Amino acid sequence: MKSREQEYREIFMAEALEYYDAMSRHISELEKDPTDEQALNELFRVMHNLKANGRAMGYADIGEVAHGMETIFGLIRSKERTFSGSLVPVMFSGIDTLGRMIRAVGDGEETADASVLLANLERLVQGEEPILEDDEQSATDEDATRKLELSDLVYIQIKKLDHLLNLVGELIIDRDRILTLSQEIGNPALQSTAAHLFRITDDLQYSVMDARLVNVGSLFNKFPRVVRDVAVAERKDVELVIVGQDIQIDRNILQIITDALLHLVRNAIGHGLETPDVRRQAGKPAQGHLTLSAQTERDDVLIQVTDDGRGIDVESVRKKAVERGLVTAEAARNLDAGAVRAFLFEPGFSMAKEVTDISGRGVGLDVVKLAIDSLGGQLRVESVLGQGTTFSLVLPTSIAVKGALLFELASRSYAIPLMHTDSVVSLWPDEMHVVGGVLMARILNENIPVINLHDLLHSAEDGLLAAASKSDLMGRQDIIIVNYNNRKLGLIVDRFLRQQDIVIKPMSKPLDQIDLFGGVTLLGSGQVCLVLDVPALTRLFLAKRP
Amino acid sequence: MAETESTGEKKVVKQDKLIQLIVFRLGDEEYGIRIEQVKEVTVTPEIARMPKTPAFVKGIANLRGDIIAIIDLEERFKLRSASQPLVGLTYTLAVEAKDYTIGIVVREVPQPLSIPMSIIEKAPEFIQDINIHDKYIEGIAKVDERIIIVLDMLKLLTPEEIMQLQPKSESSSARART
Repeated sequence: MKSREQEYREIFMAEALEYYDAMSRHISELEKDPTDEQALNELFRVMHNLKANGRAMGYADIGEVAHGMETIFGLIRSKERTFSGSLVPVMFSGIDTLGRMIRAVGDGEETADASVLLANLERLVQGEEPILEDDEQSATDEDATRKLELSDLVYIQIKKLDHLLNLVGELIIDRDRILTLSQEIGNPALQSTAAHLFRITDDLQYSVMDARLVNVGSLFNKFPRVVRDVAVAERKDVELVIVGQDIQIDRNILQIITDALLHLVRNAIGHGLETPDVRRQAGKPAQGHLTLSAQTERDDVLIQVTDDGRGIDVESVRKKAVERGLVTAEAARNLDAGAVRAFLFEPGFSMAKEVTDISGRGVGLDVVKLAIDSLGGQLRVESVLGQGTTFSLVLPTSIAVKGALLFELASRSYAIPLMHTDSVVSLWPDEMHVVGGVLMARILNENIPVINLHDLLHSAEDGLLAAASKSDLMGRQDIIIVNYNNRKLGLIVDRFLRQQDIVIKPMSKPLDQIDLFGGVTLLGSGQVCLVLDVPALTRLFLAKRP
Repeated sequence: MAETESTGEKKVVKQDKLIQLIVFRLGDEEYGIRIEQVKEVTVTPEIARMPKTPAFVKGIANLRGDIIAIIDLEERFKLRSASQPLVGLTYTLAVEAKDYTIGIVVREVPQPLSIPMSIIEKAPEFIQDINIHDKYIEGIAKVDERIIIVLDMLKLLTPEEIMQLQPKSESSSARART
């Protein structure tokens, strides 16, 4: 197993060598046509990236040389220098020096001294003539002995990996089918081949998933700058702490949560953290603290944005929810803080300016929520008034395979993603009560509404569900407790089947219009199995409850 | 010489261009779809009923790894009352609509039929009376004593039209967001 350090160095090397190739190419273009702006811009960009990467990896001298070169290309770009005269050989030797330094890093050797070059670069910046020694000589030496190298790393378009992953998904569905068939047919040779196929596809699946993993740090490391800019704009003093950059997650998942995370961080600085004066008055250190952290939690990745700001005023949110008619005043009074905070994610709720001012939270939190929902993840918020707020994003590591609970309803199989499943219980009818037309079950000191899933799925397009009656319930009821946005809902199903990893295929047109289903999967038996979308199901229940 | 010959041939081809239809029965009439719009014809696979869909959407089925919606055009076009369910063995035409594949369930084995393009007549206006919007009726072909209504699947309903989905407050807003 390679260490992280080594892996980073390999990535640095691959990129640096590519930059080296690019700069060698572009500087030749620039020499032929000193007015070639595209080549100049590329050189500037490549130097800038190399500088940043070099410094991040602790190769200060590479950073130093790249910085000097970048400055001069910047001057050429702003027409303060021209790419001509004595500047040309210095720049060429600079690129050769960078190439030597990069190769030295790759070989694990000390990088050569570049003080002569750096001095010349400095002179050029100051507008003085560089002192050219035997530069011509060394340049030709370099040319003569130069080795051509190919990178150990391959850049690949994420699209290609997506395609690969889709194919693996299809393969797994067929594999499960073959495995089931082989058991039915009972031929030992077929069975052992099927078992082998199972192992290989398993390996293949994890290899493809692994190839898509990137470090959370690749996103997190963009935040120091964001935090600085927002803090300056908001006149806040913020210290950002980043934890767990090494946690790995599927690249597309990271892509999808980028905006959500940006939103949460901006919110935390803009609304969560107080200005230094206010903080001092409240007896807190003047500097606000913001933590971006990632950690693995079972199979999931937990990303948290924590601030030590003013927190969420639950009572204001409660009041607002009643005013907006999301809940009756009576019901609101009985809601616990968590359930009240869940209102912040209601579409439109957070958009209201007043709420933002009162609670100090929430422009577009529903957008964050939707991004997380689309991944089958969970978004939670915890907050202590006056002490701070934590937003937690629970994300799957990979989008390909999801754990799901399979159950039967009207002799058909359905699946519910485990991400949204809280628990499963079997209750006798007399363990449930009808409250206001809705069945309620008391599970672990919590009152949870329970609905017959069949009734909910087949409810009329308009009109509410009929009031629940216990007389419809015969015998023990299998109930799946789902959890969405801190709202728990019990679903009565005919029978629990099993827990299984499933590959979810998106619903094809025109059925993708039905949002109750997040997709379909094919079971080993070849049967089509609908995957329920818990967020949509919860919304349906809220709209239809009697 | 050769040139005139080839143009002459072209003319002949143009006049008598044959098209191949897959002909099937809906209600009491025969309908046809151009063969290039039909992906395959198969015995109807096991259909999983999908809640929250109109009755004429029979559900979804696994057709060689593709999950497609299966619809009953007889019910959609009200050519058969909903109280008469489909019975026994049925067949499914997997048809390429605009940007998706959809399955059309029929009661009898669909048959291929070649007809000259020229005998397809444009549908008269009053065709709307039988509940099929004329925009995807390409025309009507009279073959011997048979009348075949030729459908143009590419102009068939949009997904919204197929699903008969009205913009509903709750579900539509949820849809818009996804």
